[in-house]
Formats: sequence, structure tokens, C-alpha cells
Amino acid sequence: MSVPLSHILIVASLMFAMGLGCVVAWRANVIMMLIGIEIMLNAVMLTFVGGSAHWGIADGQLFSLMLMALTSAEVSLALAMVVYLHRRKQTVNTDRFDSMKG
Amino acid sequence: MMLATYLTLMLLFPLLGGLTCAVAGRKLPRVLVESLACAAVFGSFVCALLTALSYTAPTVVTLADWFAAFDLVIPISLYLDPLSLSLSVMIGFVCGLIHLYSVFYMREDEDYARYFALLNLFVFAMLTLVLAESLPLLYLGWEGVGFCSYLLIGFWYRDTNNADAGRKAFITTRIGDTAFMIALAWLFQLFGTLSVTKLNGMGFLMPVSVLTLLGILFLIAAMGKSAQVPLMVWLPDAMAGPTPVSAMIHAATMVTAGVYLLARMYPLIAASQAALAAIAVTGAVTAFYGATCALAQRDLKRVLAYSTISQIGYMMLGVGAEAVTAATFHLLVHAFFKALLFLGAGCVIAAMHHEQDIFKMGGLRRTLPLTFWNFLAGAACLAGLPLTGGFFSKDGILMAVWHKGGALYQSLYFLGLLTALITAFYSFRLVFLVFGGGNGHVHRTSGLGVMQAVLIPLAILGLFGGVLNLPGYMGEGLLTRLFAAIPGGGAVEATHEQEIVMQAVAGALALAGLAAAWLRYGKGRAHRMQEAQSPPSPLISFLANGWYFDALYNVLFVRPYRALAGILWERMDEGIIDDSLDGLGEGIGSVGRRLGRWSTGRVAVYLISFAAGGALILGYLAWLVL
Repeated sequence: MSVPLSHILIVASLMFAMGLGCVVAWRANVIMMLIGIEIMLNAVMLTFVGGSAHWGIADGQLFSLMLMALTSAEVSLALAMVVYLHRRKQTVNTDRFDSMKG
Repeated sequence: MMLATYLTLMLLFPLLGGLTCAVAGRKLPRVLVESLACAAVFGSFVCALLTALSYTAPTVVTLADWFAAFDLVIPISLYLDPLSLSLSVMIGFVCGLIHLYSVFYMREDEDYARYFALLNLFVFAMLTLVLAESLPLLYLGWEGVGFCSYLLIGFWYRDTNNADAGRKAFITTRIGDTAFMIALAWLFQLFGTLSVTKLNGMGFLMPVSVLTLLGILFLIAAMGKSAQVPLMVWLPDAMAGPTPVSAMIHAATMVTAGVYLLARMYPLIAASQAALAAIAVTGAVTAFYGATCALAQRDLKRVLAYSTISQIGYMMLGVGAEAVTAATFHLLVHAFFKALLFLGAGCVIAAMHHEQDIFKMGGLRRTLPLTFWNFLAGAACLAGLPLTGGFFSKDGILMAVWHKGGALYQSLYFLGLLTALITAFYSFRLVFLVFGGGNGHVHRTSGLGVMQAVLIPLAILGLFGGVLNLPGYMGEGLLTRLFAAIPGGGAVEATHEQEIVMQAVAGALALAGLAAAWLRYGKGRAHRMQEAQSPPSPLISFLANGWYFDALYNVLFVRPYRALAGILWERMDEGIIDDSLDGLGEGIGSVGRRLGRWSTGRVAVYLISFAAGGALILGYLAWLVL
């Protein structure tokens, strides 16, 4: 029994929206924003895998593997930056880092 | 064939000398530069003499092609006829002596390389001007002498007055040059050629009105170069240059270029009586103007400058009276005696610690006897005392004017006679003031001996210059015979009695001027010296300031020009152009500042904007699909 593509897409868009909402709303904590980004990326991967299953082409699965590798790299960098930011201002609230103000 | 070699060498010597001095002069020892410069000019003089010896008939020598484009073909061609030949011999001789004089006059100056380079280049340009057969080549020499003159007037450029005098000379003569340029373009459009010899033979093709206008254009060109009314204001100021420069450029050679141009183009212009009359009137008025101004000057060199203006006026009068021979005769003799006077003045100035006020001089008769006798010879020529060169040449012009006839020319004749009287008066005023009296103490510089020796050949030529062209009753003149072949060169037909009467009148006037000068400045010297302490009378200051022409031009041209420049600068440039650009920059800056407020530096705001943008695009796509 296979899940129809539309269902997968609905789940994926819901996940994406929730991730986005997390990133936008939880700006008091950088780590929560990073988690939101992870959820959005997972939604994307789900879409790839769903598409791959639907059309029977392996490309999508390959791409999601690539994304996993990419995400792990990104997270390691991002966490390093979080540590660095915390060391600078003793906080992880993004609103406090506004030195790029024009 | 030899002729071409001589002519080429005549031009090449000063050119190469000038270029060598200009390029390497600072590295070479002083003696070498000085002797190189002198040798170049004397070499040129020898070539001129050789040319004269092998000269038979007027010839055109084409050396090379300068350039050719469509119909316009300009060869580097030289024209040798009695006019250019006599002038180039004179230029070689006078300039050579002045170079020699300069070596000693400029002994103290550090900038000898620049000085001699310019002096040599000037000789080259002047010879080009005189020998040129195509008018553009003549124009090249014309501008070349103007350029060298500009640089040499402002030779001591560290003093602003000298630099200003140079600029004034350059700009004033430029007005005349513009007329010359227009005449060149027009001639080419009319005749399709710019060759002097061809143009002179084609005048009959054009209506007289066109020739009149061309003649007037050439006259304006000559006014600028030869310092004729109304473009004469630059010459007195040009005395700011070193004295040998004044002698060479602003008395003997360059300033006569205008007269030479008119004599050269005479066959073309002569068809128009109106143009000739304009030339004659300009000449006579200038002669009178210069003589009256010279009466009241206190600066030794300025007296001579105004007398130069006056004498060139005579030459123009001669050309206007169809007497090219007489004008050229006066040009040659004037070159000798005016160079003599200026170089004598240079000796006086050098001996007086660069004092130029004639009322502070005196008694040099005993302390500088050699200069005195030579200067006296020059003054006698200038005054036209009987049997000097100046007497015969001036008389030739006046006689031609009388014989031209008509009310206009006869009144010009009387103006000329009056000028001759004034000339005699101011020449001897100068002699009595500088050399008369008793309190002469001089400062002997090392080169004074040679400087005075240079005067002697010039004095001889000035005094006996008359033999170049003796009047008819003493045998035929040399120049008259030489010039008989060229148009306008024929002798004036006058009976010997008439000639003798006219010369007697002119001689009597010159002697009367001498006597008046003696009464006023010889006998009444102490009184005049006292008078000079008090402020001058209005008439004297009117004459001393050159009829206030400078002030007039200041009001007429300089001030309106300054006002216009002020408006253009403050209203146009600063007001409109600068302000509008400033406003544009300000506007763009404020837009940028307003846009800059969007960048808050908060990540959250960027994210929301990003999400909102994405939502908008998605919404748009959805709207397209559904």
C-alpha cells in the first residue's frame, strides 16, 4: 500500500510552515531558530523522497542524502557560532545582535 | 642648386643651435652655449651673404612638402626676391651682433641656456617668416616669432609685472593673428592656393571690394604684430624683457613683420585704393601717436619703444603710399639705428645699475664717451638730421606720400612732417638728459668694452645707410635698382628740384627740433630736472600714459570681460552647474538614508520580510495557476 503524493505534500507543507513559524516566532533563542530550520529542511527532504517514490526515480532520494550531509555540516558550523555569540554577549537572543543596523 | 643649400643652411643653423641649447644647454659649459648660439646666427648670416652673391633673379625654391590634403597643398617653399633677400641679410647681421652683445649683457644671469635657445629659435622663425613662399609657412614663422617674443618679454618671469607684460603682448598680437588666419582661409576659398607668388598674380580675378576686405584683414594682422594704432598697447610694456631682446625683437626685426607682410602682399592689395588709404592713415596716425607719447616718457627704454611705434608708422605710411621700396629702405635703416639705440641704452642701463629713469641720469658724455658718440649717431638717424641714413629713408617715404597726391595724402604728408619735428625733439631730449649735465658716475662692468664695440658697426650702417638708396639727384639708388623688378618697387617720379626742396624742408625741421631740444633740455636742463620732481601736468601725464589707451581698453574690454567672467563663474558655474550637481548628490544621499532605515540589523525582521516575500510569490503563482 502506498501513500498518495498529495498526502505527503500536505504533511511536508505543514511541517515547513511549522518550521518557519518556529524560526520567526522564537527569535529569543538562536538554538530554537536552528531547530526550526532543521524542521523546514526535513520537510523539503520528505518532499524529495515522496517525489522519488511517486515517479520511481532515485534522484530525489540521492538529493535527500546530500541534504543530510549538508545539514550536519551546517549544524556543526551554526552551533559553533552560537557558542561564539554567547561568549560575546552572554545571550543567544538574536534581537541583541543588531550591529548591522543601517 | 647652390641656392637651395644656402637657404636650407640659413634656416637650419639657428634652428639646430636653438634646439641644442634648449635640450642640452644646461649640461653644457656656459662658454660653449654662448659661442654655439653666436656661431649659429653668424653662420646664418654668412649663408645669407652667399645667397646674395649668387642671386640673379626672383626664384622659388621648394625644399619639401609640408602636407597635402585634397586641394590643399602646402609645400615648404622659399621665395627669394630683393625684398626677402635684403631683409634676411639684415636679420642675420643685426641679430648676430645682438647675440654677441647678449653674451656680455647677460653675463650675470643663470638662465643663459633658455635665453640663447629662445634667441636662436627667434632668428629661425623670423627667417622663416621672411623667406616663406607659402602663406601657411609664413604664418608659422609669424606665430613662432610671437611665441619667442612672449617668452622673452617674460624672461624674468618671477616678477609678475614681466609675466603680465608677456601675456599682454601675446594676447594683443593674437587679435591681429586672428585676422590673418581669417584672411588665409578666405584666400584659399577664393583662389584655391596659398602661394604668395601665385596669389600676387591673381588679384585681378576678384572684385575690388573683396580685395579691400582682404587688405584690411592683412592690415589688422600687421597692426597687431607691428604695434600700430589701435593694437599698439603691448609694445611699451614689452620693454620688461632684457634690453638685447628689446633691441632685436621689439625694435629691429619682429615688429617690422607687419610692414613686411603688407609689402609682400602688396601686389594683391594694391588694386584697392581704399585698403592702401587705410594702411596710410593707420601709419600716419600711429607715427604721430608714438612721437607724442615719446615726448613725455621718463623711462629710457619706453622712449625708444614709442619711437619704434612711431617709426613703424612711417613704414606703414610708405606702403600705403605705394612706395614699397621707400618703406623697406626705412625698415632696413631703422633696424640698424634702432638696434644701435637700444644696445646703447643697454650699455647705459648696465652702467647705471639698472636705473632707467632719464631724469636720474646725466653726465655720461664724459664717463661713457664711446656709448655717447654711438648713441648720438643713432639719435641723429632717428631725428633725421640731414645726410644720415634716417634722413634719406624718412624723406623717401614723405616724398612718396606727397606725390601720391589728393587731399588725404597731402594732409598725411603734413602730419608726417609734424611727426618728424617731434621726433627730432624727443630724440635729442633723450640725448641731452642722459648724456648732458655734469654728475656722471658709472659702474664699469666687465663686458662693457665689448658691448660698446658692438655699437660701432651699427652706427656706421645707420649713419651711412643712405648710400643704400641715394635720392635721384645723387645717382640712382641701390635698392631702387634692385626693387625695380617687383611691383610697387619703382622709383617715385619727381624732379630733382622738388626732391631737393622737400629734403631741405625735412632737414630744416629736424634741425629745428634739435635746436628746440637744446633750448629746453640742454640749456634749461637744471630747470627741467627740478620740474621733474613735482607732479606732472595733465597734458604730460596724458602723453606719458600713452593717451590713456590702456585705461580706455580697461574700461571697454577688460572690465566687461571680467564682469562677464564673474557672472559665468559665480552664477553659471557655481550657481547653476555646481549647485545642481550638489542638489542631485544631496537628493540621492537622502533617498539612500531613507532606504537605509530598512536595514534594522535584526535577523528576525529580515526573516519575516523574507517569509512575507516568499508568501507573496507563492500567492502570485497560485493566483496564476488557479
